[in-house]
Amino acid sequence: MGNSHKQQTDAATNTIVPLVGFIRADGGCPYYRGGEGFSEPTLLALLALHVAGVSKQETEPLLAWILAARNGDGSIGLSPEHRTQGTWLTAQLAVVLHHYGASAPLEQAVNWLLRTRSAAVAQDPNVAHDNRLIGWPWVRGTFGWAEPTAWVLIALNLLGLAEHPRAVEGRKLLLDRQIPAGGWNYGNREVRGRELLPFGDTTALALIALHGHVPEEAVSASLEFLKRTAEIVESPYDLVWAIIGVEIYGIDVSRAKDRLAAVIDAIPSDEANCIHLAMAVIALSGKKVFIP
Amino acid sequence: MNRREFLKGSSVLLGVAALGETAGCHRGPKYPVTVIAMPDYSRDVSREIAAAFAADGLGLKGKRVLLKPNFVEVHPDRPVNTHPAVIANTAAACLRLGAAEVAVGEAPGHRRDPWYSVLHPSLRSALDPRVRRLDLNHCRGVAVPNKGDRSGVRGFFVAAPVMAADVVISMPKMKTHHWTGVTLSLKNMFGVLPGIYYGWPKNPLHFAGIENSILDLVKTAPIHYALIDGVVGMEGDGPIMGRPKAVGALVLSPHPLAADAVAARIMGFAPERVPYLVGASRFLPGLEAGAVEQRGEDPERFATRFECLPEFRAMRREERG
Repeated sequence: MGNSHKQQTDAATNTIVPLVGFIRADGGCPYYRGGEGFSEPTLLALLALHVAGVSKQETEPLLAWILAARNGDGSIGLSPEHRTQGTWLTAQLAVVLHHYGASAPLEQAVNWLLRTRSAAVAQDPNVAHDNRLIGWPWVRGTFGWAEPTAWVLIALNLLGLAEHPRAVEGRKLLLDRQIPAGGWNYGNREVRGRELLPFGDTTALALIALHGHVPEEAVSASLEFLKRTAEIVESPYDLVWAIIGVEIYGIDVSRAKDRLAAVIDAIPSDEANCIHLAMAVIALSGKKVFIP
Repeated sequence: MNRREFLKGSSVLLGVAALGETAGCHRGPKYPVTVIAMPDYSRDVSREIAAAFAADGLGLKGKRVLLKPNFVEVHPDRPVNTHPAVIANTAAACLRLGAAEVAVGEAPGHRRDPWYSVLHPSLRSALDPRVRRLDLNHCRGVAVPNKGDRSGVRGFFVAAPVMAADVVISMPKMKTHHWTGVTLSLKNMFGVLPGIYYGWPKNPLHFAGIENSILDLVKTAPIHYALIDGVVGMEGDGPIMGRPKAVGALVLSPHPLAADAVAARIMGFAPERVPYLVGASRFLPGLEAGAVEQRGEDPERFATRFECLPEFRAMRREERG
């Protein structure tokens, strides 16, 4: 166990090096090397650098880039060039600002999240979920889905707003979209009577968002799915989320972390995604930055 | 107008459709569609593909080519994706014809993890090392004004590598689809829109109507060639949850609607009964059987009957009244 812990710490340190290589001169990070800066990789890199204990001096350019990319209403879009797309990013912004102790922009971001609602649409006989429940959309003015709703709930939980009526309804939405056999797809549990297949990343996000706020038996099938995912999945992104999601429920994920280090090492340089590396640093650290 | 209203109210069009399958009734130009036999994925058909490209006048020398497969999930028992062997054969054909760059790009609409898409190891191992793989969900989108008038959206954010390519080849899997009946080279173009601009699923396009969005997108984003993987297609509850359906053919054309129409007929559907294909026929050629100049194998040799959800049975060829 001690040896495994050392391997994981080494792996986290090793993963920081390529992650730092993503940081552009202007402080923004691209999804893939050579691309332009986007909010999501910059935000998740900031979170990973925080987890890794990187100095404020080194994170300052990223934070400055993010603060400059914000809109006047406290939200943040995809990038300085595309400011109106990406509701889930403002939730990530709130998580990062919380950990960096930036209270004024944090309050603005949270107020924006609480004002932003997904669209309710007429009930469709081809889907099983309740179309009237309100959560958060990917893009403003559209329907609510698992991942953006989970990200906002994670932010609200961190900020002590878990009992806000919007958070309560958001949890209802997530539970309503849970696939009966376990896990979450992008947000439908079935289409035309056929149960959909669960994904590792969305399942982990939903489980993190619901952690401590619903009875564990309400999500036990999903947790079982995620445990299996952590044991077998080969995708780096699914694996990091499975590790984070399962570990939050107090389950040992040492073997999965050992495997993650090897999976990350195997990614060709030009196919390494900044958000995957950032999440790998967080997963390998074992630090619970997504729950209070 | 919903799908059911369309099907009820299109008796005139169906009459045309019936005539359209009668040989020799079409007046006007013919549009080439090539069918290549590929009984299984182990067969090297790169030479045949290159020959079809050349015969169709697809000049690739010195060009940047983007292959846009349908590659959205990885399930060993479900033929969801354009098979890596088909992508690899096509890439090899492009390189043989002198393409300067060949890339394979995809932006799946319901899943953001690119490992389940073109970054999957199965594709890496199949491809020539010169061929790059691009996760189009997480890349810059170029704002392109909507050239259509169906969806009401002002424009699309099209993945920058698609706009930068000289030649875009839409490479769908031959599948049924639980919202549109069939998914072929036109529907496949949803995957040129980065998910970071639209979410997963690409809900703004659903709000605008899937079929309307397909039509506007096809008018707006370039498709220079279509190559449909019908070696093993998917029937039933496609595009993810259906069953394998062996056909053994590739369908190729510089005219994507003509390729889709031929593929739909092979699947046992009447393209004239598929609303978005009919919509596309207002600005693309090749819907009617008589408008097709058939090359290579006779498509009737591969004609079969894809099972479909009950809602789409009225699209079948044999349902014609």
